[in-house]
Amino acid sequence: MSEFEPKIIAFVCNWCTYAGADLTGTSRIKYASNVRIVRLPCTGRIDFMLLMKAFSRGADGVIVSGCHPNDCHYTSGNFHARRRWIVFKSLLDFMGIDVRRIHFAWVSAAEGAKWAEVVNSVVNDVRALGPYDGYKNLAPIAADWRIQDAG
Amino acid sequence: MLAKMRQKAKDLLSSGVVSTVIGYGEGSGNRVRALFIRKPDDADKLILDERCVQNLAVYLTKREVRALGRPAVVARVPVMRTIQQLMFEKQVAEGEVAVIGISPDSQVLDFPDLKSMAEYVSAIPFELSADEKAAVEKLEKMTAGERWNFWLDVLSGCSKCYACRQSCPLCYCERCTVECNQPQWVSVPSHGLGNLEWHIMRAMHLAGRCVNCGDCFRACPLEIPLNLLTQKIITDIADKFGGADEYALNAFKPDDKEDFIR
Amino acid sequence: MSRIGVFICHCGENINGTVDCAKVAEAASRVPGVSHSVDYKYMCSDPGQSMIKEAIKEKKLTGVVVGACSPRMHEPTFRRACAEAGLNPYLCEMANLREHCSWVHEKSEATTRKAVDLIKSMIEKVKLNQPLQPIKVPVTRAALVLGGGIAGIQASLDIANAGHQVIMVEREPSIGGHMSQLSETFPTLDCSQCILTPRMVEVAQHPNITLHTYSELESLEGFIGNFKAKIRNKARCVDEKLCTGCGMCAQKCPTKKISSEFNAGLGMRSAIYVPFPQAVPNKPVIDKDHCTFFQKGKCKVCEKVCPTKAIRYDQEDRIIDVEVGAVVLATGFDVLGTDFFPEYGYGRYKDVINGLQFERLASASGPTLGVIKRPSDGKVPETVVFVACAGSRDPAKGIEYCSKICCMYTAKHAMLYKHKVHEGSAYVFYMDIRAGGKMYDEFVRRAIEEDDVKYVRGRVSRIYEEDGKLVVKGADTLLGHEPLEIRADLVVLATAGVASSGAEELAQKLHVSYDSHHFFAEAHPKLRPVETNTAGIFLAGACQSPRDIPETVSQASGAASKVAGLFSQEELTREPLVAVVNRTAPPLYSTCTGCGLCMPACPYQAIEMEEIRTRDGTVVKVAAKVNPGLCQGCGTCVALCRVKAIDLQGYTNEQIYAELMAL
Ligand SMILES: Cc1cc2nc3c(=O)[nH]c(=O)nc-3n(C[C@H](O)[C@H](O)[C@H](O)COP(=O)(O)OP(=O)(O)OC[C@H]3O[C@@H](n4cnc5c(N)ncnc54)[C@H](O)[C@@H]3O)c2cc1C
Ligand code: SF4
Ligand code: SF4
Ligand code: SF4
Ligand code: SF4
Ligand code: FES
Repeated sequence: MSEFEPKIIAFVCNWCTYAGADLTGTSRIKYASNVRIVRLPCTGRIDFMLLMKAFSRGADGVIVSGCHPNDCHYTSGNFHARRRWIVFKSLLDFMGIDVRRIHFAWVSAAEGAKWAEVVNSVVNDVRALGPYDGYKNLAPIAADWRIQDAG
Repeated sequence: MLAKMRQKAKDLLSSGVVSTVIGYGEGSGNRVRALFIRKPDDADKLILDERCVQNLAVYLTKREVRALGRPAVVARVPVMRTIQQLMFEKQVAEGEVAVIGISPDSQVLDFPDLKSMAEYVSAIPFELSADEKAAVEKLEKMTAGERWNFWLDVLSGCSKCYACRQSCPLCYCERCTVECNQPQWVSVPSHGLGNLEWHIMRAMHLAGRCVNCGDCFRACPLEIPLNLLTQKIITDIADKFGGADEYALNAFKPDDKEDFIR
Repeated sequence: MSRIGVFICHCGENINGTVDCAKVAEAASRVPGVSHSVDYKYMCSDPGQSMIKEAIKEKKLTGVVVGACSPRMHEPTFRRACAEAGLNPYLCEMANLREHCSWVHEKSEATTRKAVDLIKSMIEKVKLNQPLQPIKVPVTRAALVLGGGIAGIQASLDIANAGHQVIMVEREPSIGGHMSQLSETFPTLDCSQCILTPRMVEVAQHPNITLHTYSELESLEGFIGNFKAKIRNKARCVDEKLCTGCGMCAQKCPTKKISSEFNAGLGMRSAIYVPFPQAVPNKPVIDKDHCTFFQKGKCKVCEKVCPTKAIRYDQEDRIIDVEVGAVVLATGFDVLGTDFFPEYGYGRYKDVINGLQFERLASASGPTLGVIKRPSDGKVPETVVFVACAGSRDPAKGIEYCSKICCMYTAKHAMLYKHKVHEGSAYVFYMDIRAGGKMYDEFVRRAIEEDDVKYVRGRVSRIYEEDGKLVVKGADTLLGHEPLEIRADLVVLATAGVASSGAEELAQKLHVSYDSHHFFAEAHPKLRPVETNTAGIFLAGACQSPRDIPETVSQASGAASKVAGLFSQEELTREPLVAVVNRTAPPLYSTCTGCGLCMPACPYQAIEMEEIRTRDGTVVKVAAKVNPGLCQGCGTCVALCRVKAIDLQGYTNEQIYAELMAL
């Protein structure tokens, strides 16, 4: 088997991080191709169940990112999101879920370079952690996913 | 105190202020069950002892119970807290329910209205007992791997019978998201993944709302300590947001503190 | 069954250089539900768009996925193309193969695989897309202008001249703002009052403008095109209809030793007063905090002398309701007082003044009738030191920004002084000179070269009084930090421009964002400088950050043209990407529990509770409802609702879930 390549799913808001990632592109800054971006209007829209579903779909790591505090396009979506993340992350940790695999960030539309850094550091960290077998082994569907990915 | 409670029930019924009194009565095999008293004379069947802990507020949102007319509920502190929460969530309105309050030292309390009940119960600090705290802390002290195995182990028994949900007075949604299949938020089978998703979702949905009555735990046929999750969240909300908000997850402070968002 | 068309763009070599576009199109063609999949050199070109349009018609496509650049770039282009071919534009989605893939990864199989993933995920999303119709909301063609400085005046006149109603609210007794306090204005040195007064009068006389002075906004509700405002008319204690502005009251008022705001504290006014002779409206107000009658219960002199019996001690504040379609925020700025600076004497030295006070000294209508006299003893100063950047660009003072106007008005002040006191000497301490603008640098140069103003580069570290002089201690950084001591008669601090008082509360009332210094924030610093993040609320002038008159006026005209544009239609169309609370068949009616927890989470107060009734009118349920005019589509409520009773059009739970499950 070749070296393990983690699968990373990123949930980002449209106005800051998605635009920031666009800037990474326009600036031609290179980063690891393991990440897949899901575009949502605002971090306020990010349902915690989406994160769980990303893991059940076989993600080895998840990135959640939006506008810096006070910069939310909708003024307070990210403040609401932050509260939920605080509770949610702590709950996951309490349940023994590997929270090192969930990375929360604020990346503005001007931070193209930061987006590349975030992705690269998460890919590196998760690569070092290895595949999230603990989660994938919870249900038969996980195995199914792995076969597909190996091909 | 028992006499006083029965008398109060009688008065409420005979004066026609309420049409039902929801309280506790003897069930089979030394168990206590919920009693729905409709006639003043039956009020003597009501009992009150340390076995009477069920959160009777669970009935207040049920259509069948509502159909009986205005109820009065025998309510210890957690039940009163539940009613307060249900009011905040617009499920119970002032005037719809009468409360036969029972203080922590088992005195019968008179409340002219729900507002005064809410004031009374708000003054009692909402915190975990020493034992509950210790149980949460014990888990916190474990390594992540140990916690994972702990939950994998205890949740492995869950058969998704949803008795916990049924007993919870705040799980009153008519269409629970666990039953939603478009999309399928929670994996249907009661395997590791399905159970984990169910319990994460349940806990998150009760975050900032759970009154720590313990009924979910008592209802579980497998004695799964699922209320540890809501208890953990209760401590987090108090520690991290100060616990002053009526619902911590639709409020925020621009300077809420965290140490993990980079 | 869906019939999805997939269109992969090479973007020349921009995408095809790293991603194997043919392979992506081929992989997409194998996804169930895809009935057409092609790749092409430039999808956004005319031939590219035609390919899409033809395929929609020929293959009767039910959805389109374009794999190309960022949707932030071309989503409108492709959606328009779809609409032209008869496909609802919201059945078109883009996968970002350029900014998020080809430009950021090396050419490799993994990069192509990622592109395939992104396409597949969009295919699954688009299968669940629903045709959406733009939202139409009616527009009330009247504008509320808050603030009657030059910004508010210009915006009001422009909007009113375009034929629309304007309601102007100014919290002071007169309009005019800071410009009415200025003596002469850079870079042309024309008299401020002379150019401003005619405009003030025009405002007062314009048939389309309703002026509310001595008034403040109480509340604002609603949304673009449909705002409802409450305005508080503070009690003037004068019947405006009867008052003729004769001024007898102010003349005879026995309480005259009140520091005049208009003269920046350098002059006095009476308790009943008109702030300045050219005030609009020329109607006095009673300052209740100082009026002898209000304070001691005795006096009523003004009532006795008023020839038209216009004085009304018992007048109360009135609340007025107005409906408007747009709001222009033009509440301006303030300048720091000298008391802000411990190193310059905390405001203790009478002869250390700020720029606004100097304007009043230099003004022909000011307390000294334009003769530069120092406040302490009325002597004409022989040496004046001007300190630029007093507070500005000083992180230690909490003000990192440049106040932008001080370099220019300091040069102006020094020049005015030299014009009036030929033998005097003027020094300017500066950090660097920022004189960008038409004729600005020439203006500063004139001060230095023609008027012999001595510019010293360096900060002033301390000022103290000694033998009737002000000792100014600084250093000349161009001369190797050589310490410098000037014994001055007058020191003028060009204090930082700051947000006007109450700006934060006002922003909160209007739900517009503001920066950490309480200046209102624009929707986009470059491309939407006169809009706020709240649709229908626009910005003009120094309330956004300190700026000079030309910039203020052009921005005010910009905001006015935005308003006029908005008012050019009877109805407003908005993107239908809004939240909706479901309604289902009885007996459920909606999965919403009516808990109302979502309501306070909405940043726009778009959620209300609706009673669902049967035909005979009995209430069967109370459920949430989203006002599509207010909702901005953030989705905060969607993620909060436990029963998923609210969903967000364009980003529904099902769509996002399908998108995720395809990754
Ligand atoms: C010392 C000095 C010298 C200057 N010299 C020049 C110069 O020579 N040339 C030049 O181009 N510029 C000059 N400027 C800059 C000029 O003053 C500003 O560009 C201009 O005043 C900005 O106009 P504005 O309408 O945005 O704000 P303002 O003039 O501040 O007007 C704002 C108005 O809004 C009102 N208001 C505030 N809050 C509320 C509220 N909540 N509700 C209702 N009304 C409210 C205020 O009372 C005021 O009338 C100078 C500035 C200073 C300080
Ligand atoms: S979650 Fe359990 S402890 Fe909390 S309110 Fe519901 S039943 Fe009571
Ligand atoms: S936790 Fe217990 S009560 Fe709840 S569903 Fe599982 S088995 Fe049933
Ligand atoms: S939409 Fe959801 S959160 Fe809002 S009132 Fe209904 S159930 Fe409660
Ligand atoms: S989507 Fe956002 S703006 Fe719209 S109703 Fe929900 S919270 Fe309010
Ligand atoms: S829009 Fe980016 S976090 Fe709200």
